[in-house]
Amino acid sequence: MKNTKKVILPLVLVIGAILVAVFSNILTNQSTASSNHKTQIVFWHELGGPSEDALKKVVDGFNKSQDKYQVVPKYQGTYDEAIQKILQTHGSSTSPAVFQAFDISTAQMIHSGFTTPIQDFIDKDDSFDVNKISPVARSFYSNGGKQQGMPFNTSQPVLYYNATLLKKYGITPPPVSPTYSDITRVAKELYEKSDHKVKGMTVQVYGWFMEQALANSGASLANNNDGHTGNPTEVNLNNPASVKFLEWIRENIKSGDFIDYGSGASAGANQTAGFLADKVGIFIQSSASIGQLTANNKNELGITYFPHPDGQKANGVAIGGAALWISNDKPKEVQQGAYEFIKYALKPEVQAQWQKDTGYLALNKDSQKSKVLQDLYKQTPAAKVPGQQLATAKPNYYNSGILMEGMQLTRQLEEIAMETVYNGGDINKALDKADKDINANLHTLNKANGYK
Amino acid sequence: MLKSPTTEEAIEKKQASSKKRSTFKLNANDKYFSLLFLGPSLLILGLFVFYPMIKTFYISMFLTNTLGKTSVFAGFSNYAELLTSPDFLNSLVVTLAYVLGVTFFTLAISLLLANLASKKLPGIGIFRTLYSVTMGVSVSVAAIFWLFIFNPSTGFFAIIANALKLTPINWLTDPSNAMWAVIITTVWMNLGFTFLILLGAIESVPQTLYEAASVEGASPRFQFFKITLPMISPTLFFVSTITIIDAFKSFGLIDLITKGGPTNATNMLVYRIYKDAFYSGNYAQASTEAIILTVIIAAFTLLQFKFLEKKVNY
Amino acid sequence: MSTILKNVTKQYDQDKKVLDNVSAEIQTGEFFVIVGPSGCGKSTLLRMIAGLTQISEGTIKIEDRVVNDLSPKDRNLTMVFQSYALFPFLSVWDNVAFGLKARKADKADIEKRVNDALKMVNLEELRDRKPRELSGGQRQRVALARAVASDAKICLMDEPLSNLDAQLRIKMRQEIYALQRKLGLTLIYVTHDQVEAMTMADHIMVLNDSKIQQVGTPEEIYQHPANEFVASFFGVPPINILPAQKVSEAILQVNSDFEVTLPHPIAHANVRVGIRPTDMKVVDSDELHANATIKAVEFLGNEKIVHAKMSHGGEVSVIVSSEEVFQPYQNVEITADSEFLLFDVDGKNITNKGAVTHA
Repeated sequence: MKNTKKVILPLVLVIGAILVAVFSNILTNQSTASSNHKTQIVFWHELGGPSEDALKKVVDGFNKSQDKYQVVPKYQGTYDEAIQKILQTHGSSTSPAVFQAFDISTAQMIHSGFTTPIQDFIDKDDSFDVNKISPVARSFYSNGGKQQGMPFNTSQPVLYYNATLLKKYGITPPPVSPTYSDITRVAKELYEKSDHKVKGMTVQVYGWFMEQALANSGASLANNNDGHTGNPTEVNLNNPASVKFLEWIRENIKSGDFIDYGSGASAGANQTAGFLADKVGIFIQSSASIGQLTANNKNELGITYFPHPDGQKANGVAIGGAALWISNDKPKEVQQGAYEFIKYALKPEVQAQWQKDTGYLALNKDSQKSKVLQDLYKQTPAAKVPGQQLATAKPNYYNSGILMEGMQLTRQLEEIAMETVYNGGDINKALDKADKDINANLHTLNKANGYK
Repeated sequence: MLKSPTTEEAIEKKQASSKKRSTFKLNANDKYFSLLFLGPSLLILGLFVFYPMIKTFYISMFLTNTLGKTSVFAGFSNYAELLTSPDFLNSLVVTLAYVLGVTFFTLAISLLLANLASKKLPGIGIFRTLYSVTMGVSVSVAAIFWLFIFNPSTGFFAIIANALKLTPINWLTDPSNAMWAVIITTVWMNLGFTFLILLGAIESVPQTLYEAASVEGASPRFQFFKITLPMISPTLFFVSTITIIDAFKSFGLIDLITKGGPTNATNMLVYRIYKDAFYSGNYAQASTEAIILTVIIAAFTLLQFKFLEKKVNY
Repeated sequence: MSTILKNVTKQYDQDKKVLDNVSAEIQTGEFFVIVGPSGCGKSTLLRMIAGLTQISEGTIKIEDRVVNDLSPKDRNLTMVFQSYALFPFLSVWDNVAFGLKARKADKADIEKRVNDALKMVNLEELRDRKPRELSGGQRQRVALARAVASDAKICLMDEPLSNLDAQLRIKMRQEIYALQRKLGLTLIYVTHDQVEAMTMADHIMVLNDSKIQQVGTPEEIYQHPANEFVASFFGVPPINILPAQKVSEAILQVNSDFEVTLPHPIAHANVRVGIRPTDMKVVDSDELHANATIKAVEFLGNEKIVHAKMSHGGEVSVIVSSEEVFQPYQNVEITADSEFLLFDVDGKNITNKGAVTHA
């Protein structure tokens, strides 16, 4: 007995020491082995699923292309949540050197003063021709003539339809840039000719689509030209463009060919599932969904531009997606590494592969000539449509995004207005309510931030 | 229970007299010592409970800017604004409806199941296991499971409705149904735990009470309402308190199933706080809502203790 | 107008009978005690009368009605449990009123009956207390009041006093007896305590080993026990049983230690003799004549109990006057005169005094 007691303490110490050694080894291995004295560039992103795999390919490519920097990607959850993490960790050791922030946080990022404009690096770098990058995309993330963040994963909303079903029932497909009534016609015909087995269309409750309807109609949501010529002080959602958009949906709800999948990520998944299962024929979604819709689809996929009101020309839609930003709380060396990574990510061949893998648009003009994309277009001709839509649009204030703070809440309020209409509410009342709430929030925000 | 009161009284007397004898007074040394013992818990409470609460209240007195920092002093205007905002009042009503609905159905259904499962019937063990199985299901799994069921074109309910040539119910997109959808899901989640606790309580009611009652002429129904219910009332009180507080704090299911929609129909207070803070970055408003929620839960708990506790303790 | 048990049998397993062929008649208005050691089946029998346990074979008749398949509430009886079965959440008053409310009695009627019942057991002042605020004896009274308040004329009690201390037990014994007499209840009372049986019963049923040993009045049972078991179950200290051989027509040699005279001739050569401790004599003796050694002496005040070890094995207890002095290890001579019982080797009473043996 005495002997065992004597043994216990040393035994515990030895086991403890082994455990510490093993775990610290694992931990240090992870960081040292992968860095090899390279400069670490922490990269925060919000891409999950297949897009994350594609993103890792870009990162690996960069890490192998040179031996000075090591980019470490870290997934941060949804776009919305990531914004608060980025803002709240700034200046601490956990903050990223380069991060992905989505379109509607642009104003917030610029105002935060937490980033170094990409323009500062471009100006010192003769080897990078920024003009090769899509001007519509660039203008979204510029302010005061300076490139603030660099557009990266960029998409456009497009309209998808089930071409096989249309053929089956002998329905003429919509034109490549359809009006609202073009789509209504197809949706109604599909619903009736399928003996009500297939719903004609759906439009997800998503504020982004509401904003795109305004952009495509040449209307603005916020004053000061959607914030491009000054900080917005007032919004006006209840305008003829939004009314026409909602009336179009209302008409289809009334004739029964419309199905409502609701809002949020699960609604997106449900509507995709419904589309692939021949339960609904037409829906609007980001061009980034092309990959998913071609890979798992037994049917032929049809794609058109985002629809526009009857009796006027499409003004073109704004881009969506996210940009890459460089934090200003990191040493020069790290910042330079972050810039090198962004530059690499926008190379023609990288962007071409990126579009093929994810459905996000290749932003470098030279990407279109690449074999990767040429092959893709040959295989799925419809995949060309989003890029064409982007190229056809001439950038103006309406289709360059809304540079306003509080866009997350604005979107929620837009979605509530949409839901109200979908559930039979009055269009004008719903939009007025949204205006009132968005403005109240905007005024408080401006006051809190000390803007005029 | 069966200890005779004379011994109890004797013990009480003893304690009382010993208290009298040692009327103690803290000297400096004792004070130092008492601080030493209280210190750690005070420190932890202060750091993790009191400081956040005070800070939350402080933030609720300001406007917060884009970076989440307090900027303009607002006094109680945040409170005034919220308490007159139809959206916020809607959230209050919706939360209350949800809490009451969840609590009522959770208790009613699990009580029914527990009462059935307490009967000594062949094969009852299988049902006991089945009824309590949701205890092992995580929120996310439950949410995905029910999302599949609620899916308007490929879901279980939709398939049944289509087969019966009925119009499928828009579970998640119609505001009045969405509330039922989250209540159903939450109740389903709650059932396992509540069922087990109630079953335990029902089974620990002494059998002789039922025997005495049946000899005295009480029907099974009478026995259930006049014996089982009162006997398990302390447990019912316990589970109802837990269910109510849980329902107030419900977040995961809401986030995964409805995200507070449609048209704010399921925008419960806690979810609203989360969205205001971590989506919109409006920390001032979120803090104000958090304080209001704290007051409501405290009031609820107080009410419950005041009115129910008297009735359930015997 | 009585309760009749006919060939009542309870069997759970194939081969084990808890109650075997029990028959008896319980007269209306009598105090009937079922007594026996634990495990003899007495509680089972009571529960079968109450309807809480199913009857395997035989019939139970209450007031000319076979109740075998009636539920407890339809048998019109009341029951007091060993644990009292009070509802902890109800006040004394409501506990007593429970059965009446369950039977949906008239409100004024309930009021009157409950108040009367509480008065009868002296609990009027505690009517608003909860059971946990009562002493053991008071709880017992509440249980009694509940039985009293019911209009049932048959009351079953299952070891109602076993949770009380000795003093209280004596007091409650008297109270229960008084109540039974006052209300004219038919009281069927289960106990393992022979003193309770002897002091209260009009008739006693002795159960052992799932079978009836004897049914009779306390006197019959004490004076003319049917068998060795019944004889040794009643009386404190228990009867001394010793083996004996017939040495002549009129003489029995008991335990090879002393002789007794037979009042009449017997056929058996080997018998067992039962002598009550009061019927034995013990005197100091020298080593030569002694047939026993004293083991212990218990002083009870007015008398003493002397426990002695017989020379040829076996032990006896003798009650002597408290003035007599005996010491442990003292050599004594123990004898008996003609007051004794005779049993055959199977334990059956063969004392020819016209003993009544109910079967």
